[in-house]
Amino acid sequence: MIESAAHLLDETVDALSRRAPAIVAAAARQMEGITLGLHFGDDSHAEMYPDHSRLIVRRSRAENPEVEVYFDDRSMNLLFDLGGRPVDELWPGSLDVRGERSKVLAVWRTFQLLSQRASGLRAVQGIWREYRDRNPHIWGGEPIDNLKARSDVQSLAPRDTGWQALDYLDRRHPHDVDANGVIIGGTVRVESRDLWDGKNSSPWWILSSTKDADLMVTMTACKERVQEELLRIIPDREPRKELYDLMRKYPAREGKGLRPTLTIATCCAFGGTAEDAVRAAAAIELYHNGFLVHDDVADESTHRRNEPTLHESHGIGLAVNTGDAMNLLAVDTVLSNLATLGLARTLALIHEIIHMCRETVEGQAIELGWIRENIIPVRDEDYFHMSTKKTGWYTCISPCRLGAVCAGQTDPSVLDRFNEAFRLIGIAFQIQDDVLNLLGEEALYGKEPLGDLLEGKRTLMLIHLFREADLAERHRLEEIVSAKRSEKTFSNAEELLAAMRRYRSIEYAVEVADRLAHEGVRRFEEDLDSLPQTEAKAVLRQIANYVTTRPL
Amino acid sequence: MPAVIRKREQRISDAPAVKLGPRGPFPDAPMRRVLERRWLHYAFLSADNELGLVANVAHLGPPPDQPHLGTRCTSILLLHKRDRGWRASDFNAETYTPLWSAFQQPHPIGTPGSFELASKAGPVSVRLQLERSSHPCTSQCAPFATNQHLRWQSETGVIAKGRWQYSNETFENVEAVGYHERVRGYWGWPELGGWVFGFANDPDRSTHAPPVAVVFTLIQPLSPLDAATASVMLWRHGRLVRHFPRRRVNVAVAGEVDKVHIRQVPALSNLLGVPPMETVPRRLLIQAAMGSDWVLLDFLCEDVARVVIPSETSIAPFSVHEVIGPVFVKGRIGGKGFAFETRGIVEFAGGAGGD
Repeated sequence: MIESAAHLLDETVDALSRRAPAIVAAAARQMEGITLGLHFGDDSHAEMYPDHSRLIVRRSRAENPEVEVYFDDRSMNLLFDLGGRPVDELWPGSLDVRGERSKVLAVWRTFQLLSQRASGLRAVQGIWREYRDRNPHIWGGEPIDNLKARSDVQSLAPRDTGWQALDYLDRRHPHDVDANGVIIGGTVRVESRDLWDGKNSSPWWILSSTKDADLMVTMTACKERVQEELLRIIPDREPRKELYDLMRKYPAREGKGLRPTLTIATCCAFGGTAEDAVRAAAAIELYHNGFLVHDDVADESTHRRNEPTLHESHGIGLAVNTGDAMNLLAVDTVLSNLATLGLARTLALIHEIIHMCRETVEGQAIELGWIRENIIPVRDEDYFHMSTKKTGWYTCISPCRLGAVCAGQTDPSVLDRFNEAFRLIGIAFQIQDDVLNLLGEEALYGKEPLGDLLEGKRTLMLIHLFREADLAERHRLEEIVSAKRSEKTFSNAEELLAAMRRYRSIEYAVEVADRLAHEGVRRFEEDLDSLPQTEAKAVLRQIANYVTTRPL
Repeated sequence: MPAVIRKREQRISDAPAVKLGPRGPFPDAPMRRVLERRWLHYAFLSADNELGLVANVAHLGPPPDQPHLGTRCTSILLLHKRDRGWRASDFNAETYTPLWSAFQQPHPIGTPGSFELASKAGPVSVRLQLERSSHPCTSQCAPFATNQHLRWQSETGVIAKGRWQYSNETFENVEAVGYHERVRGYWGWPELGGWVFGFANDPDRSTHAPPVAVVFTLIQPLSPLDAATASVMLWRHGRLVRHFPRRRVNVAVAGEVDKVHIRQVPALSNLLGVPPMETVPRRLLIQAAMGSDWVLLDFLCEDVARVVIPSETSIAPFSVHEVIGPVFVKGRIGGKGFAFETRGIVEFAGGAGGD
């Protein structure tokens, strides 16, 4: 339950960070490093400041704010107006802003951006509606009843109210119609707009400049649809216990839904439908799960997605066989596109998938070689190269390319536009994943804590640590890293973690991830500029920004 | 000429084939340039609101280097059945010539004539008797770009009776009311930009002509800046009684139609790499007011077919979205109010470009 205006702000920014990272990243850019102190009429206070692409909100008085804003109850409308009608007047004394002029303007731009773009998200609307319903007295005027019956039309005759097509559309919706536009996940409120006002024309087919999507809703919807397809694909026959049940249960483990979302959103961004991409997305998931099962065997991992790994619970033999079956079924799933997408697209899908698999096994080979030969690379670039091959292609690049192919786009020069942006984003994502393994809670991350250190995984932090550590300490660290997993203890892993903290390897990795993610977002906007600004592209943009605003 | 023509043994109508002559807005003169166009357009909705029809027979001038080829013709028939969506022929629907048209073969009100269209190897066909009940509007013209124009003339309240074939279902003695239009002009699709067009007839069948019929047009060329134009025309009992000119019309849209629900036709276009089109609005609102007269149309999109028309001068094709759905019409003309709910057909067209 939202208790105060400061709490409301905190909840809003938190929801946005998870659901629409692109908005937070854009707002953080506008804030230009300014610390803002906010005071509300209900005597609550908040501090807000940007941290890279994140917005940090603390529900307390700011110690040294550069800009201070006081909103009384009546001016809450200024921040966010759910009623749809902008406030025309401001009561004297209801808003007080203090600070250097350029900084005040930066803060103003930040809030303008937040209110304009965030107000389209249903989750944010829900938070504000809840607050407004509990405190109706602070909102000017009665909310407009959006569901007035058509019989009210008499009062809206143009002769009485002038030119009001937009007003009419905004206020009245037939009972059987959802007022919000629905494309993927139903996350965007489509505003009504004028095509012709008697003088000026706005073509109906020209795309609006920016649309934002609720990433969480979209990812959940895409994940569930692909999950459903996976369950449909996996045969319902014997041997169930030793094979098909294992195949069915493993993908059902909790995942983020990143790959299905990328595939489906890219397909939609190129003009295809979500259904066109579902089977390709399911195929990637099958490959991914097959790789994970084998990867866990190779890495001797004990936990995956909050549950024991397959070889831990069912033995290595069954686990390897299940992984093989997943890879085999994935081929079948790709081929099942023949009936709906036709021969050319299916062939192109196979071509893309072969490339994806080749990159993945090459990346895996590089890393396993490092571990086997006890090599710790010196240069970050070696890690970037390995990471792109091992996870970048199948996590980020290939899902996008496959989605575009599903929509009929097979031109290599167009498909290649995804490569650099999502290579950078993929590396950043992998680094963050590795950081989360060190710092995150097991429940959130799904793998055993410090599992990467026990496995001897060559992460950017480890590479930085070995580059920076003095010679004597490096020998000791080498002893730990080169030991077999079964010989390592949890205290060994903690010793490595302590060294990483000492040499600020984690901070270094976060900085690098941030830099790569920003470069990735820049390349996304630049390389994919030719894609029309649809909701599907907005989903891709949110994923690109997801890496920059992900809480660590 | 239509793409595929079966000669009839008997004429469609006994009305004299009047030549309209070379002068005037719709000259019966040969087309000599490749972007010269001539169309006959038809749209009907059955009285029980279950069926809808859109048909277009279009002629295009010959290529500049091959004048001996004469005009090129494409003909398409789209039928809609409620809850089952649109079905369409390819651009080679079979028809007879001359096609029923009061413009090309003037004949009195109340005299039925034959109108037949059928997909060559597909699921749709109609065999109808068409009958005029109303008078056409005066011709309208939209000039744009530097030397291009689109000229059209509408006749509403056309009554249709006969047989409709939709997939494997046949519907006999279907009564429908609709709209007929002729178009002549010279334009390239990218220069034309797009249009929003539609009509609605009062479903009251107690009189021969619909008590109220409304036709609206919004043409949106991108240049010059003032080229866009709009109009709303209103008929009462078969007579055009009001024409709301461009400055008196307001058009707005809201929402979006899920692309999953849009059927792309003709079927051939699905095999080609047709680029995507902007999302079709879910709802269309048109208001027109002049003095104390006003009319309001609130149209809700229910089902969409995207007709992909190759553009002669650009990579991206021109798309005509045929939209069917409920429409609410209300207004007051000459002190008399009216209001009715029925179903209408709207076209959202545009999207060519991208050289």
